[in-house]
Amino acid sequence: MLTKEFIGLVSNESGLSKKETEQLLTTMNAIVRENLMDGKAIQLQGLGAFEIKERKERVIVHPRTGERSVVPSKNQLVFRPVATIKDELNKI
Amino acid sequence: MAEKLSWTELRRALAKRAGVSEKTAGAFLNAVQAQLMEALKTDKQVKINGLGTFKVQAVAPRKSVNVTTGEEIIIEGYNKLAFTPEAGVRELIESQEPGVKSQEADNASVIDPIQKLGAQAEEIVDILGDLGQSPKEEPVAEPEPVVEEPEPVIEEPAPAPEPVAEPEPIYFPGATPAAEPEPEIIVQRPKKEKKKSHFWRDTLICVIILLLLLAGGYFFLRQELSDIIRSFIAPAETEEVIVGEPVLMVEEPAVVEPAAEEPAEEPAPAAESAPAAKAKSAETAMIPKGKIPQEQILAEFLAASGETLTGTADYPNLITVEAMHEGSRLTWMSKRFYGKKVYWPYLYDANRDVIDNPNQIETGTPLRVPKLTKAQMDTTSTAFLQLKQEAEAACKK
Repeated sequence: MLTKEFIGLVSNESGLSKKETEQLLTTMNAIVRENLMDGKAIQLQGLGAFEIKERKERVIVHPRTGERSVVPSKNQLVFRPVATIKDELNKI
Repeated sequence: MAEKLSWTELRRALAKRAGVSEKTAGAFLNAVQAQLMEALKTDKQVKINGLGTFKVQAVAPRKSVNVTTGEEIIIEGYNKLAFTPEAGVRELIESQEPGVKSQEADNASVIDPIQKLGAQAEEIVDILGDLGQSPKEEPVAEPEPVVEEPEPVIEEPAPAPEPVAEPEPIYFPGATPAAEPEPEIIVQRPKKEKKKSHFWRDTLICVIILLLLLAGGYFFLRQELSDIIRSFIAPAETEEVIVGEPVLMVEEPAVVEPAAEEPAEEPAPAAESAPAAKAKSAETAMIPKGKIPQEQILAEFLAASGETLTGTADYPNLITVEAMHEGSRLTWMSKRFYGKKVYWPYLYDANRDVIDNPNQIETGTPLRVPKLTKAQMDTTSTAFLQLKQEAEAACKK
């Protein structure tokens, strides 16, 4: 499902216009991104939480040349779904 | 990561930013939550621009073992919710310095990874037994493993910067960032060197393989060619022989027998072979084309059992009788006489009395070469296929 369809569904549910819904959605995404950049996690009720996880640096070996190099550590966006969502999805 | 933006905070921020009431924002968020679940249930996948994609992934059932009892158990499959961030978002997140937060939080945590790095470096050094380089002030680890690599290659070219770069890490472990560019320069050169050596090694291998192939082809062709040439020469010779038939008939035993190693058999073959040879003049006429030892053996064989070579019930007409050449095969003979290798089972069938295993025929064994009828030439006939099976079975004896 694409964003457009999703917006349609949400606007139906909330009674807001599609335009408003779209605007709210983009604003929400912006807030989520900004908070993530600030190092904050975002909890979405009934869905899960967006978090930033640090992947540690690690040594890799090139399989052919045997060359060793270090993959630098980096941040990763992780979505951790709440426990109830698993049950919900497995009802299908 | 301790801080968490809660649901209410998000609602408040959203309302403020979008310029709507908190109620609207709340309604929107609730709708998002509910619809996302619904959409996931129906579509399994929801893409939200500016954030990423939510996806329901099925995890297949798998086998496992109960750790305490050792029993095999099956973990049933289930669905899980996966989220893949959009490329832009991912890059944004990754662009963030991972160390920044930890520096703010605690300085000790900055030192930790460096110590780990040092341990890793030492490990690598132990393994390769090359260079030792203690950790630097910054977590710059790339040069370490890189420096170790080029070492074995360095000795050959030995340009100016290398000797300098090599000892530095050893004697001054606390190397400053100034040491970094130097190893990098070294890296590039040996890589080229490596490629070159690979190239030469590869070409050498290619040439050797080519030579081997050529040699193999030569030896194979030599066998084939000699057979083909012989088959070309043979008809020419036979014509000559046929002209001088009566002379040869008389001469053959006379010339051959004295040379034979067994004088005891001399008189008998001489007497018998002459009448037998007359009866099948066409066959015997072709025999002399072989070398003398073969003639000898043939003559002896004909003398011993002249009748059996006149043809069998299945093959009344013979093209010729030929002694087995050294290194020859039934298939090659078949190719020579019939034009195809496939017909070799007939050669075997016609000579079952002398051939035990078609792959191991003694040199000099006289073989009948039967004339094939049109029906026999059909390689798809059941009779031929059966014969082929029999012949192949004989090969495995």
